[in-house]
Amino acid sequence: MKIRVICVPSIQNHHAMKLNFSKISILAAAIFIFGCHKTEEPPVENPEYQAGGATTVFDFFSDAFEQPAANLSADEIARHLDGDVAFGSIFVTAPAQINSGLGPIFNQNSCESCHGKNGRSAFPENLAADPGGLLFRVSLPGSGTHGEPVALPGFGGQLQTKAVWGTAPEVKVDVVWQEEIRQFVDGKTASLRRPTFSFSNSYIPFPAGAMVSPRLAPPVFGLGLLENIPAKNLLAAADPNDADGDGISGKANQVWDVLKNEMAVGRFGWKAGQPNVLQQSAAAYLNDMGITNPIFKNEHSAGQPQNDTLADDPEIDLPTLELAAFYSQSLGVPAPRDLENVDVAAGKILFEKTGCAKCHTPKQQTEAAEFSFLENQTFYPYTDLLLHDMGENLADHRPEFLADGKEWRTPPLWGIGKGKLVNGHTDFLHDGRARNLSEAILWHGGEADAARSNFEKLSEKKRGQLIRFLEAL
Amino acid sequence: MQKLIFALAFSLLVFASCKDNEVVSTNDFSKELDNSAAVILETYEILDASASQLIVVLTNLENTQTAANLTSAQQSWRDCRVHWEKSEGFLFGPVDQQGIDPAMDSWPVNDVDLENVLNSGLALTKNFMDTQDGTVKGFHTIEYLLFGADGQKKISDFSVREFEYLRACGESLRGETEKLAKSWRASDGNFIKNLTAAGTSASIYPSQKSALQELVNGMVTIADEVANGKINDPFSQKNVLYEESRFSANSKADFADNIRSIQNIYLASTNGTTRDGLATLVKSKNPSLDAKLISQIEKAISDIEGIPGTFTTAIFDQPAAVEKAQTSVRDLLEILQGELLPFVQNL
Repeated sequence: MKIRVICVPSIQNHHAMKLNFSKISILAAAIFIFGCHKTEEPPVENPEYQAGGATTVFDFFSDAFEQPAANLSADEIARHLDGDVAFGSIFVTAPAQINSGLGPIFNQNSCESCHGKNGRSAFPENLAADPGGLLFRVSLPGSGTHGEPVALPGFGGQLQTKAVWGTAPEVKVDVVWQEEIRQFVDGKTASLRRPTFSFSNSYIPFPAGAMVSPRLAPPVFGLGLLENIPAKNLLAAADPNDADGDGISGKANQVWDVLKNEMAVGRFGWKAGQPNVLQQSAAAYLNDMGITNPIFKNEHSAGQPQNDTLADDPEIDLPTLELAAFYSQSLGVPAPRDLENVDVAAGKILFEKTGCAKCHTPKQQTEAAEFSFLENQTFYPYTDLLLHDMGENLADHRPEFLADGKEWRTPPLWGIGKGKLVNGHTDFLHDGRARNLSEAILWHGGEADAARSNFEKLSEKKRGQLIRFLEAL
Repeated sequence: MQKLIFALAFSLLVFASCKDNEVVSTNDFSKELDNSAAVILETYEILDASASQLIVVLTNLENTQTAANLTSAQQSWRDCRVHWEKSEGFLFGPVDQQGIDPAMDSWPVNDVDLENVLNSGLALTKNFMDTQDGTVKGFHTIEYLLFGADGQKKISDFSVREFEYLRACGESLRGETEKLAKSWRASDGNFIKNLTAAGTSASIYPSQKSALQELVNGMVTIADEVANGKINDPFSQKNVLYEESRFSANSKADFADNIRSIQNIYLASTNGTTRDGLATLVKSKNPSLDAKLISQIEKAISDIEGIPGTFTTAIFDQPAAVEKAQTSVRDLLEILQGELLPFVQNL
């Protein structure tokens, strides 16, 4: 087990202790990266090999999502390594001398517990026993002052399915699957599994009318680039009233920026409910691990009978929070593979012809950025970061700011073909119901009806080519 | 025959994808990957056997609570720990993807929750332990209970519940080692095929070179962890709270066995049997790198084991020896990352 320590109250000493390694790393990393380019240099005529612009890394082993961006300075690599420590720290019940403050109610005890190897969580093997990287947002109908969901009395905005000893988890979750047969136009069939979640053993009666939204932990690389796409670019691509009549009406979410005390374009989370990586990280610390922090200072259980009585908040300081955020902001984006392969190239054309690329926008750009390694980058995340109606089959019926109960943010597709290598599974979509990429496409509806229908009309060979393209990303 | 066909196909693939100024590779690394995979599976099998023995000893301690049986249990923990540390040079695949590592080796120990469980009336069974988070079970919880927070625990210090907890923890740990071994066996989970069939559609690795890089990356990762985490955290901050195996004073053995995991993969060696592996490959193409690596691995182990006393005391009173060991591991890391990894990438 990697040693990960969050000192009380800060981990500032790690800066000093990691510097020596940084010097070694930089030299070695430079050799490594240039070595990699020497043998695996992509054809210069295809810029998409630089999926993350200058941050792109060219590894193809299980740590592919865990490499620092290729263009970090020596100081940035040192800071990235410190961030890795914060991201990997396992928290324990307070009072503890190190990594103190878990819970009292929580979902998992470290960032890595959900974002294993910085990748996508699998649907839990035994949901009732351990929900793993799957969590459930809850709220009542209506919206708060800034448009946010209304907390569910006694449960807040998220169900915590674990608790420190002596404290009751909020609820136990289970699932029943129902298989459904879909038919392609060529007569071939596919079986999709539809989840029905159940909630039992709640510590107090579960309120009637609660809206519940399952969410599977996504990969965390490339977030710095997504954070720095100019808002004007996202808004320019939005077409909330489908003025161009193409059936796609993406809209930008507008969410509350806690530190700036103002509304901002939403970018992160399955419904783009968070405006930036720092706030997303702070929300995850609080809601997922029960770790209070400078942005969210009160326990998620505040006001509930399970809340602790310790005067130890915030349980991490701002430098630690910023380090954890910086870690994901400064991860390298893994390069695609085999783009010149005949089937992959054909698949890319089909990806565009079927209409997938209308929401999964291939190319984005940054301009000015807080960190120079993220500035003026052209990159290929395959997302527009906008909200789209995905149809009744995927609806959670739980609004979040401007996102209605059928709308989801277009998830990036970069690295999607490396999931089996990195995380050992191919579970996709917000609740992990899709067991492979084909199933994920077949679940698309609403604004994606036409694209899904076009996919269903393809021959088996062409469907395979489209999937082959996705696997190359 | 299948491998011959594959080797031919692989060669053609490499040839087809090369540009004019690149060296065409016609190498088949099946032998190296087969032997490296065998080392991994054998290590897991030995780990599983030692965890089974740990249950026997912990059950014996629960049934007959004597100082001699406590000593035996402590030694059995160390014996099992050796094989886990020797597996940390290849923390990829099921050990990571199936949550086995956190279930076996989470750190730090959640001593608040542990005390609360001990003070409860709950039946302490394997099933109960299987549902608990890793910070109240696994190697370090067993270590904490067997040796005590100060490393001075006596048989008279134990409560009845602690004996029960230890036995249940041992059973749960063994469940994880069994799952791990099974996940790699060709007759069961068959993760081993990802290495032995690398470059075919049966593997997650698109090429044999990619699989070799996975192996080397595992070595790089643990060398980094030993030098810049396990040694550096407590040493640079002069704080024993950051020492992973301080209850048992087993840290030096942990570090050395981690480096032995690198040695075993590099030499394709287990139980004294050395096969053709990465070392053979490196020696055939770059004998000076091979000699340098073998020498630096041995130096790192020697310098770690040469630290006087326990690591807990050495971080305060033997800083030169600790620094020497840390430097040796960092030098090894530099060779692994700066020379071996590029060597594999350039095959």
